[in-house]
Amino acid sequence: MSTIEARKITKRFGDFTAVKDADLSVAAGEVVCLLGPSGCGKTTTLRMIAGLERVTAGDIIIAGKRMNELPPEKRDIAMVFQFYALYPALSVGENIAMPLHYEKLAKPDRDRRVKKVAEILHLTDVLDRMPGQVSEGEKQRIAVARAIVRDPNCFLFDEPLSRLDVELRHSMRGQIKEVLSGLSKATVIVTHDQLEALTMADRIAIMRDGVIEQIGTPHQVFTKPNNVFVASFIGTPQMNLVKGRLEGVAGAKATIQFGGERVELEVNPAVSKLKPSQVTLGIRPRAFTPIGQGARDTIIAHAELIEPMGAETLVHARTPDNSDIRVVVPRDVKFKIGEKLHLRADPSQTHIFGEDGKAVRG
Amino acid sequence: MADATSIWERLGFRKASGVGEAGWGHTLLTAIISLIYFLPVLLIIITSFKLQTEALAVPPRFFPTSFFGLIPEQWVFTPTLENFTSVFSRAYTTGGAVESTGFDRFFFNSIFIAGTSVLLALVIGTLAAYGFSRYALKGNDTYLFIILTTRMLPAIVVIIPIILMFRVTGLAGSYIGIILLYTAFNLPFTIWMMKSFFDELSPDVEDAARIDGSSEVKVFFKICLPQVLAGLAATFVFGLILTWNEFLFALLLTGVDTRTVPVAMNQAVAGGGIGVLWGLLAAIETLFLIPVFLVTFFLQNHLLRGVTFGTVKR
Amino acid sequence: MTTVAIDRPAPQFTTIAPDNWKLAIAVGLAVSILAILALPANAAFWVTGAMAAMVAAAFVVNAYRRHYYGGLLVSPAIAVLFVMNIFPLLWSLGLSFFAYQSNQQTIRFVGLRNYEQLLTNDLKAPELWANLTNTAMFVVLTVSAQMIAGFLLAVLFAKQFPLRKYLLILVLTPMMLSVVAVGVFFSYYYDPTFGLLSQAIKAWNGEQFILMSTKAGAVAGIVFADAWMWSPFVMLLVLAGLVSVPKYLYEAAAIDRVSSWRRFWTITFPYIRGLLMLALLFRTIEAFKLADLVILLTKGGNDTMTISYHVIRIANEQNKTSEGAALSYLLLFVVIVLTNLYLYIANRRAQGN
Repeated sequence: MSTIEARKITKRFGDFTAVKDADLSVAAGEVVCLLGPSGCGKTTTLRMIAGLERVTAGDIIIAGKRMNELPPEKRDIAMVFQFYALYPALSVGENIAMPLHYEKLAKPDRDRRVKKVAEILHLTDVLDRMPGQVSEGEKQRIAVARAIVRDPNCFLFDEPLSRLDVELRHSMRGQIKEVLSGLSKATVIVTHDQLEALTMADRIAIMRDGVIEQIGTPHQVFTKPNNVFVASFIGTPQMNLVKGRLEGVAGAKATIQFGGERVELEVNPAVSKLKPSQVTLGIRPRAFTPIGQGARDTIIAHAELIEPMGAETLVHARTPDNSDIRVVVPRDVKFKIGEKLHLRADPSQTHIFGEDGKAVRG
Repeated sequence: MADATSIWERLGFRKASGVGEAGWGHTLLTAIISLIYFLPVLLIIITSFKLQTEALAVPPRFFPTSFFGLIPEQWVFTPTLENFTSVFSRAYTTGGAVESTGFDRFFFNSIFIAGTSVLLALVIGTLAAYGFSRYALKGNDTYLFIILTTRMLPAIVVIIPIILMFRVTGLAGSYIGIILLYTAFNLPFTIWMMKSFFDELSPDVEDAARIDGSSEVKVFFKICLPQVLAGLAATFVFGLILTWNEFLFALLLTGVDTRTVPVAMNQAVAGGGIGVLWGLLAAIETLFLIPVFLVTFFLQNHLLRGVTFGTVKR
Repeated sequence: MTTVAIDRPAPQFTTIAPDNWKLAIAVGLAVSILAILALPANAAFWVTGAMAAMVAAAFVVNAYRRHYYGGLLVSPAIAVLFVMNIFPLLWSLGLSFFAYQSNQQTIRFVGLRNYEQLLTNDLKAPELWANLTNTAMFVVLTVSAQMIAGFLLAVLFAKQFPLRKYLLILVLTPMMLSVVAVGVFFSYYYDPTFGLLSQAIKAWNGEQFILMSTKAGAVAGIVFADAWMWSPFVMLLVLAGLVSVPKYLYEAAAIDRVSSWRRFWTITFPYIRGLLMLALLFRTIEAFKLADLVILLTKGGNDTMTISYHVIRIANEQNKTSEGAALSYLLLFVVIVLTNLYLYIANRRAQGN
């Protein structure tokens, strides 16, 4: 069974803890993305799974076998490196065939498999060229080809699209997803681009400073972020996070004061258990509906900058206490700079985060 | 479950932390081989501490002390510093007056000549390398080819005309002559290495500085040069090692005043001034070895990086 | 990057201007030839030198006026190399057409007679051929030994391990010794009575070992000493190559389960191939120079005389300077042919990739 299980793995480099107690399990055929900013430990985690780094604590279990002490050669995994790691002295075809030598196949068999994989990734024309003579996108595909030409326990991708330009990324995202879905192996992809994660992954693990903050489906992490960090990391434009003071909860409505304003918002029932305290209010830009006049549940802000984005418009607004609010409205809704906005938030998309940054949710 | 460490790791040949590292097992193997390699040098150093009578002893005496009787008397010698002091002044005949041997002058000559010529080659060569790298001249490649091949010429081809030239111009036996010659020897390698370094620099920083109004000279000194320090160090060490020991041309072209240590050593051995005073000769060589050894040791890291950049085309 | 700003047009050939280097060359050549033919050696030399300086000056002024900054930067180096390398070469070439003996002051123009004699008489001399074969044999043996030993040492030092820095300098030391010391001490090590080699063998089978008594022994002794001294040089070059292989290539190879042998040939070797060839080239050229060790260890006895030693003896001791020059030129010709062969092969390789 092609599965990966990382149980509480920790990696320390001297005094520095790169990864702390990371728990991850990937089922056969599932694609899990490790997502996070630079230095969060996602690549280190991947390398521990690959065997390129030794775990300081914890267990790596691949296909049901404990692999902690085994070097990469013995783990039967395939990996696509960020810098492709193509062998410069070998032709493209020979590069792709490299992993097959271990299987001691006859040359015709090798060639057949290489051809098959090359067809899938549209590389048949460049098989005889050298890595230095192909384009960036082709190099990427060659690296992927080299990984899928075998039948490994699992696939590991280290920032596979980071070196491609936007257009290429778009097409490669789709291609990779298509290829992976046909292979039903556990796959882990490391990326810092949330769009990649959201489109390619079955589940996303968001990491910060060596700790996995949340694991969930793209839908889950988008609609139910566990804490402020995840909430701000996922979603473009970024979720609005405003600090305020919870004064009390009456019925389903919580009274929150920020910047001299008092707003009554419909929130998750769990919020009623909170005592009056500092909270962070999280509302996505597309969760706002601007209405004509103020009400007890609207937020007041003045439009400062208007960015047309094609089908939508991004409005940067500022509340009286100088908080930035980003609002996304359909194209036909027009505002003037300086105009006073009354924004009503969709309660199902309103998040309250406690003093500790964690989401308050039932 | 038994720890499935590979046998290579347990023996210390491979480190678990990653590809390309090794542990103490590897160190042991390398140490043994390195010491065997170093053995002849070690013997020379040991000999420099021996008295003449014990130098040629049979069986050979390796150990300075008997380590509390662990080592049989036969293998032990009594260490002395006599040889080292004799390098610079000794009595030529027993009972005669102590005279200076002139070796202090020879050491000075070696340091002066080698140091100056390597530095001169470094300066001239770096400028030339910068020129080749940054300014495309007509026939660039031809010049470079010529420069490289001059290094490849065997000495025998140039020796006779150079001897003649030196005699005619009166440069024979002068400092300037031999320094210029050694500079010419070091130039091809210097230019070639430094050019590779300059080629590797990204032009962005320089262009930014130019746009900001820096003159070319400033760009060179403040931006390019600091980045190639490793190359300068490596070239310096390499040149020093090769020039320090140069024998053939020094033999033919230095005079009484400008003689370098290798030539003096040879003369002492062949001409009969010292005969074969092994201890003394060993002491001279040991002292002679020290400067190059120290320079190489301290610039070691740069040396390796320098050779890498200078020769590998990526 | 090309920075060439041409402010003024180049001067006409006949204009007399400081930057008219074409004219300078023409005049310089003419005057030099006249001087060599008409004046005694010393004066001719100075005149030629003056002409060369004039040409050089013209070049420099030209470069300066036309903002050939590159040219200016490069000129000191070219000047030194020209004076110390090219000029003597040309001089030597010229000399080979004369009969000149350094202990006399006269020169007679003899044309190709030196070469003629070389090719007909001297070439028949068994001594010359013996020298050449000796040299060839030495070169092959010592260069092979150096390459192998240097390569193995480099492999040993390629990884990071404790104490690497200190062990590396130990291995670099042989290169730092003076040839004289190596020669003298190795002759001591090889000595039948006192030498360590003989003593060790004596402890084994009770008899003294005289290494230098047979040609094979003498050759082995010289080759061993020379290879020992210079293998660190090869090691440094190969090590530089080994160290430059990017780590992630080895990681990819580990993941691809590539065998050690294949890993070496497909990943490591391409990085060191260029350096190996370079080491080969340098050491081969240097090996041809092999004279000092021979002088010190055997004084050419036991049929170990090399061509370099031969030339030096001819020129210095026997004062047959012109013949020495001619012989040198013959050898130079061989070297040039070999070098071009090497470059041709290297270029073809580079293009093939």
